[in-house]
Amino acid sequence: MKQFSILMQKEWRENIRNYKIYWVPAIFILLGITEPVVNFFLPQILESSGGLPEGAVFEFPTPPPEQILTAVMEQFQTIGLAVLILAYMGTVAGERKSGTATLLYVRPLSFPAYFLSKWVMASAISLVSVWVGFLAGYYYTLLFFDRVEGMELFQMVGTYSIWVLLIVSIIVAASAAMPNGGLAAAVAFAIYLILQLTDGLFGAAWSISPVKLPQYAAAWLADSPDSGSLAGAIGITALIILALLVFGSWISWKNKAKTKV
Amino acid sequence: MDQTTLVLALLPILIIQLALMIFALVDLIKNPNPNGPKWMWAVLIVVINIIGPILYFVIGRRNY
Repeated sequence: MKQFSILMQKEWRENIRNYKIYWVPAIFILLGITEPVVNFFLPQILESSGGLPEGAVFEFPTPPPEQILTAVMEQFQTIGLAVLILAYMGTVAGERKSGTATLLYVRPLSFPAYFLSKWVMASAISLVSVWVGFLAGYYYTLLFFDRVEGMELFQMVGTYSIWVLLIVSIIVAASAAMPNGGLAAAVAFAIYLILQLTDGLFGAAWSISPVKLPQYAAAWLADSPDSGSLAGAIGITALIILALLVFGSWISWKNKAKTKV
Repeated sequence: MDQTTLVLALLPILIIQLALMIFALVDLIKNPNPNGPKWMWAVLIVVINIIGPILYFVIGRRNY
């Protein structure tokens, strides 16, 4: 426990010094703001980008605020995911490469505490970023469109947070398993694609798959998702995260000889 | 919604972009050994908004 808190201090300091604590939330806020703003200005944007015949008239239905927030979530799913992968692909691998890890590994280090400190810090920053991103998106949706029930937003963000935790676990575990950050990013992205693909191909019958969590999160805005399958999906996701934590601790112990001196 | 409130509402986007850019530029100036030529990073950070600073933070600082 003592080791863990010291390692957490080290992680905290590192994340301040490499500015991750600033730019990861900044990107998510930007993503959250952009979606409602672009939707609000869509008629003007289309008009000024040209290519339309003279006198063309468009009737734009005002999109419901729920749809805007779902679009914000989709932005997080693509660009947000890429940002998280970029930010944390090197959290273990880069440390081994730069030699920081050597300073740690020569000490009697508890690898579960080491891996857990990495995971907790990455998860904390990612979650806070996603939350402020949604908050910014929510505020701008309120400003430009209409209000969404605060409770619905809360439930949606809560469900989506579990998915974010799963993604972060995959990234940090991949970083521990791979020799460098680039490969870790490739592996994390490949796992993500495979998950999406299998869900797309065979997922119709599986209601309790972790990949369905974002869909369930979006479903909170319309009405509520099926509580049985939601609980099942959350349970399975928690198990996978736990397994990834164990795997990550083991693989970072196994790879300790790969550190550069 | 009138013009001034609209401008005020859009101000945060500008501020965040500028802040990212300034953070990246200041760090680049202080960085003795960036991953690649300094002028190239300066151009990337200034010209490509949002993505430029991120690329610098991730790749240019050698802390991946």
